[in-house]
Amino acid sequence: MAKTPEELAKERYNRIMAAINLQEPDRVPLRGFGGDIVPAYYGITQKEFCFDYEKGTKAIEKYLTDFPFDWPSAAITGLDGRVFSVAFSEYPEVAVSTTFITGPMHEVLGDKYYRFPGMEIAEIASPQFIGGTFMQPDEYDELIENPPKFVAEKVLPRACRNLDTPQKTMATMVKLGIEFTRFGSVGREIAGIAARLGYPSIPMGGAYAPLDIIGDFLRGIENVLLDIRRYPDKVKQAAEALVEPIINYALSFKKRGFKWVMIPLHLNEYLSPKLYNEFYWPTLKKVILRLLEEGMQSQVFFEGRHDVHLETILELPKGWGIAYFEKTDLVKAKKVLEGHTCVMGGIPMSLIVGGTPDSIKEYMKNLIEQVKPGGGVILSPTIGTAPKETPIENIYALIEAVEKYG
Amino acid sequence: MLEELFNRIVDMDEEGAVSMAKEYLEGGGDAKKLLETCRDAMGVIGQKFEKGEYFLSELILGGEIFKNIMEFTLPKIKGGDEKKLGRIVLGTVKEDVHNIGKDIFKVFAEASGFEVIDIGIDTPEEKFVEAVKEHKPDIVGMSCLITAGVASMKRTVDALKEAGLREGIKIIVGGGRVDEGVKQYAGADAWADDAAKGVRLCKELMGIEG
Repeated sequence: MAKTPEELAKERYNRIMAAINLQEPDRVPLRGFGGDIVPAYYGITQKEFCFDYEKGTKAIEKYLTDFPFDWPSAAITGLDGRVFSVAFSEYPEVAVSTTFITGPMHEVLGDKYYRFPGMEIAEIASPQFIGGTFMQPDEYDELIENPPKFVAEKVLPRACRNLDTPQKTMATMVKLGIEFTRFGSVGREIAGIAARLGYPSIPMGGAYAPLDIIGDFLRGIENVLLDIRRYPDKVKQAAEALVEPIINYALSFKKRGFKWVMIPLHLNEYLSPKLYNEFYWPTLKKVILRLLEEGMQSQVFFEGRHDVHLETILELPKGWGIAYFEKTDLVKAKKVLEGHTCVMGGIPMSLIVGGTPDSIKEYMKNLIEQVKPGGGVILSPTIGTAPKETPIENIYALIEAVEKYG
Repeated sequence: MLEELFNRIVDMDEEGAVSMAKEYLEGGGDAKKLLETCRDAMGVIGQKFEKGEYFLSELILGGEIFKNIMEFTLPKIKGGDEKKLGRIVLGTVKEDVHNIGKDIFKVFAEASGFEVIDIGIDTPEEKFVEAVKEHKPDIVGMSCLITAGVASMKRTVDALKEAGLREGIKIIVGGGRVDEGVKQYAGADAWADDAAKGVRLCKELMGIEG
């Protein structure tokens, strides 16, 4: 007899939680992916997917119906909005809506951080984060003094065309509030669809590595790396000053009953162990530890190669969260973190896009043989977005391989 | 003095390196020799990166020091920079608007003696085809950051094939999400996910020892 959605959701939830709790589940859980494939599979453009929430929801429903991952991650696309999270960190009811900036929010803000299909880029193109330089090096003291105030009053007017005068700002914030409400309601609708289809609910809030706020939104990646050499003390103090606002933002999710935050890292692979341990890790660690004290676990995406920094994860208490790896070898990571941290990743997107069902099955069989024993692992593509050309039969092959060998 | 300058660049002493280079030229030093020293230093930075002693932040800072010194050195060299290992047409592929990887690669490729023609970001297949026809490069470098770029790389290689241009060139794909699987899928000759490896492979593609 077929399982009810509730039974299915419970089975998947237990599978994921067992892995997170460093146990061996009934089988290895598989995290899903989204990206361009979601609208493409439904036959709409990225522009429609990003801006027409009704069509976007239908596309997600079809994708979730046809591709049964244990833990899907298809959603209406939003790009990282953590600079707004810092600006409004003292207002939890606002901060809670700032993690992702969607197409309509981008249109309202007129910001220079993002490129959305049908606006700055082609209708079929993937929405993209660009970042930029919206703060000068001589402004570090102002940032250190009061990060939310500096970001809200100095950075945002430079970064957003529609926040560059007080009058425009007032109108923009009203419109943004309407968009927050719309996005919140579509989020709940998609959550309802996911529940009906038997998917577990593991709501994720957000936090960020303090230095990444400076790199992604204030100074730009290249500039912050040069600043580390040119003004090391200022950079260090600024990262310190950002810890509290980031925690406040993350705690806005606790008030909504969330137990998880997602933290995607960017500068980690740019830094040598010396610089990582001096400028990046101490403040990130503070954020993770403080949230853990508050009863919130973290899922950290260690972008790029994290190999040389791997052992620093052992400085966190056992069971602090999920370590999601991109190019760090999952087998190696699991060996280092065994019995301490649940690891996630292992499946290169190039395999799903360019492989064949047979090559995928063979790869997965081999990977699972190596990482399954002992549990504490979640299989996932190493990046959560698939291009529109991703062959459908490959997605099925991936799911079947995990069902068979996992 | 040049030896000390070399060490300063390799040790990431930005201020010290730039001021010493200026001092060297002001004292009547040979701009060509200075250029050679900077090239050698950049080569060593690339090697240190590949050995795992240096990281992306050092590649970026090294590139910055090189660019700063070149700004006042190149105008002093008659006929510009004459040493050319080969010509690279370089661009971020269609539907991808990121430039950071492309730009780091470009500095290191130029520092090692390649002539680089940068055709920008979000570059349509036709623009690659046109650039190859116009500039007749030895190598075409395609960059992407997002996964959508992977498919654009394949379409660009296909377009070059259709235009009958594939035989005369080598193609290298690069970027954060690029790996052996992407190289095979796209039909390229080499792949790199960092600038140092990218430049080394370009030399290999040209039959020059790294």
